[in-house]
Amino acid sequence: MTWTQRVRILYQAFFLLLFVWLLARLAAGDLRDLPFSMFHHGDPLSAVGLVLAAGTLPGALVWAAALIALTLVFGRVFCGWICPLGTLQQLSSWLFSGRSRRESLEVNRYRRWYALKTYILVALLVGALAGTLQTGWLDPLSLAARGLASGLWPALPTGKPVPGGWLAAGLLLAILVASRFIPRLFCRAFCPLGALLGAFARFAVFRIHRREEGCSACAACRFACQGADEPLGAHRVQECHVCLNCLPACPTSVLRYTALPPLPPTPPEPDLSRRAAIGTALTTLAVAPLLRAAGGGRDAARPDLIRPPGALPEGEFLEQCVKCSLCQQACPTGALQPAIAQAGVEGFWSPVLVPRRGWCEYACTRCGEVCPTGAIARLTPARKTGYDGGEPVRIGTAFVDRGRCLPWAMGTPCIVCEEMCPTDPKAIWFEEVEERGRDGRIVRLQRPIVDPRRCVGCGICENRCPVGERAAIYVTSVGESRDPLNRMILPRSWRPVVRPRAPRHGGLGCSFPVRADDPDIAFFPPRR
Amino acid sequence: MSENSKLSRREVVLRLASTGLAAAAVGGGALAFHNRQGRTTAARAVPDWRMPGVSGLPPAVAVRGPDPAGNVRRAVEALGGMTRFVKPGEVVVIKPNVGWDRLPEQAANTDPHVVAELVRLCRGAGARKVIVTDNSCNDPRRCFARSGIGAAARESGAEVVDTTAAVWAPAALAGYSTGLEVMEHVLAADRVINVPVVKHHSLSRVTIGMKNWMGVVGRGRNRLHQSIHRAVAELGAMFRPTLTVIDATRVLMANGPTGGSLGDVRAVGAVAAGIDPVACDAWGAAQMDVDPATLPFLAEAEQRGLGRGDVRAVKELG
Repeated sequence: MTWTQRVRILYQAFFLLLFVWLLARLAAGDLRDLPFSMFHHGDPLSAVGLVLAAGTLPGALVWAAALIALTLVFGRVFCGWICPLGTLQQLSSWLFSGRSRRESLEVNRYRRWYALKTYILVALLVGALAGTLQTGWLDPLSLAARGLASGLWPALPTGKPVPGGWLAAGLLLAILVASRFIPRLFCRAFCPLGALLGAFARFAVFRIHRREEGCSACAACRFACQGADEPLGAHRVQECHVCLNCLPACPTSVLRYTALPPLPPTPPEPDLSRRAAIGTALTTLAVAPLLRAAGGGRDAARPDLIRPPGALPEGEFLEQCVKCSLCQQACPTGALQPAIAQAGVEGFWSPVLVPRRGWCEYACTRCGEVCPTGAIARLTPARKTGYDGGEPVRIGTAFVDRGRCLPWAMGTPCIVCEEMCPTDPKAIWFEEVEERGRDGRIVRLQRPIVDPRRCVGCGICENRCPVGERAAIYVTSVGESRDPLNRMILPRSWRPVVRPRAPRHGGLGCSFPVRADDPDIAFFPPRR
Repeated sequence: MSENSKLSRREVVLRLASTGLAAAAVGGGALAFHNRQGRTTAARAVPDWRMPGVSGLPPAVAVRGPDPAGNVRRAVEALGGMTRFVKPGEVVVIKPNVGWDRLPEQAANTDPHVVAELVRLCRGAGARKVIVTDNSCNDPRRCFARSGIGAAARESGAEVVDTTAAVWAPAALAGYSTGLEVMEHVLAADRVINVPVVKHHSLSRVTIGMKNWMGVVGRGRNRLHQSIHRAVAELGAMFRPTLTVIDATRVLMANGPTGGSLGDVRAVGAVAAGIDPVACDAWGAAQMDVDPATLPFLAEAEQRGLGRGDVRAVKELG
């Protein structure tokens, strides 16, 4: 093993461990402000997709430009040195395959159908242009994050079950198993990010160069080639992962990785037929609206489509969500789950809040903090709760099911929902009644009633309701701040003026330092 | 052919013996695993953590002053000092209310100074380990961070165990035999100190000490509200703490037990401590102007002989 290979393996190990560690810390609810979405910020596929779909490049996604610049100088070093999914595949191919030298030469040959990834890229980008952002399905960073955190970690002793997680796990495992038969098959034939970086790599300054004289055409350079880019023939720089395995393999040392080498007389074109590419684009243009319409459309608000706090209006949300699942990992209560059927075909694996699994923690703004694309806006706790004097951010409204509620239907006291309600004054209040039971005894009951003007839809009432499977109080998306049409109550300004409540009691300050430097911890409630 | 098909006696014995062994293994396995009763998990017994009363010392005292930690020190001193309650080498669990993702000023949780001072007193008395724990209602990481109790406990030498790390054991209340869990590390403690905060509660009117035991109970606790006064008294009968310390530094007067607005908070600046949890709860109710005689759970607890639901049992030291 030469020093270049050792350095590359160190890089790969570092980035893989960093990726997994950040994801694990995120899922463990680490309250520190770690750069949880750093990998996703540098993802050019998300960046280009967002520009095409939404016409904006939100905040930190400009880091994707740095990765493109890196590719323009060194080629697809991201694929060979950084990408965690690439490293995992390389690991699987190295661990589980006992290929002979001859088989290795055969399996690392370029195949025409590896151009499939370019068609996939064309379809995803044209789809983005048509307003449906689906890059996240096959984006290696989103795919790896989903597969690890939603697919595999639920099986750990401390893991929380994720409905539909098996889909993410299945895709990830299929990719790793495929790599046992053909190394990095996903990178070579399917990865749209690799295809995109390959387009930039064609202009790369540094690339592999083969000196004709002295080359015995032994094909030893192909033996451990990761990208199947054929350093022996006319080198396909857009396929090359810059793993640099070919350099030490060459017995006559005619290969070099060098700046601005002379180009081969006829540089190989990607195996892309113009007819097929245009066909792919046109098909996508036809299928994108079909996906939307047949998937249920965006116009009708859906009761169980409860989006995270700060989520953009549904149309814009679907133009910016890359389904990386970071918000789902960040949610401290496990409330955010992948949408399987709630959000149509377009919104598959986008985040929805399922109150029976968790609730939206009142002052928590984690999902927006880790969202790499701004599909969920960043909120401050003061903004979210309305402690800054504005309207609180609502994600839905709670409704009492009076046919299941214990005080309403069963003559039994309860009001756990009122106890849990985090707003002040509580959105859940109650009327007090005395009811004669079947046995003639009088029971005093407090019957919960939701004040929709106070309710933020956090769902802790539904989560803690003692009525087993289907709670007697439940949240639907109506009243969500993000959708001005999904409403039921007139705005505050139309309501009669209410004098603000004066403080009833004197307060007493607390000198204990509560991490006052952290605005997430130390935001201060108003004195109402 | 005929010779080949003929079995030797030795082979017959060996083959029948192996058949018999297989049959014995199946039968033995079936007998070993057979269970007519079906699978049940026995509820764990909760130890009694009380210390005997000392004649001449009051069962409970209350102290008022601007410094919450100083109040705790004076109150425990008046009861004979922490060495009366905690012996060297013991493991002590301190159970404050860390239920909510709220700041100390909002009075939804126990004051962190009170918790920190108790940890220091226990360490001073020679406790081997002090654990501060609660089954928070909001995200436990946030509750322990924003309440200040996580940092206060760690800095004063305690270990913090929230429900991200807790192990649960099956528990039973009288007449409520299944479907309840209790924290394993609480059951394993040598001494337990209950440190509630005094708050308004729509269902039980006040939530103070005995209701604070909801925080060592896990799944199934949300059904207890259907008979809250019975449930609070049963919890008081199940968990017999070494010491109860009532934090009335700030009292949440309305919108409890979550609170939120500082307008709901009354500055009382008092702490009570005692070995009579019922008297301590009565004193707490009085701090928010609720007549203890109107609280059914106090009457139920008194009937069970858990203590005296009377403010006069608490000696005011001023």
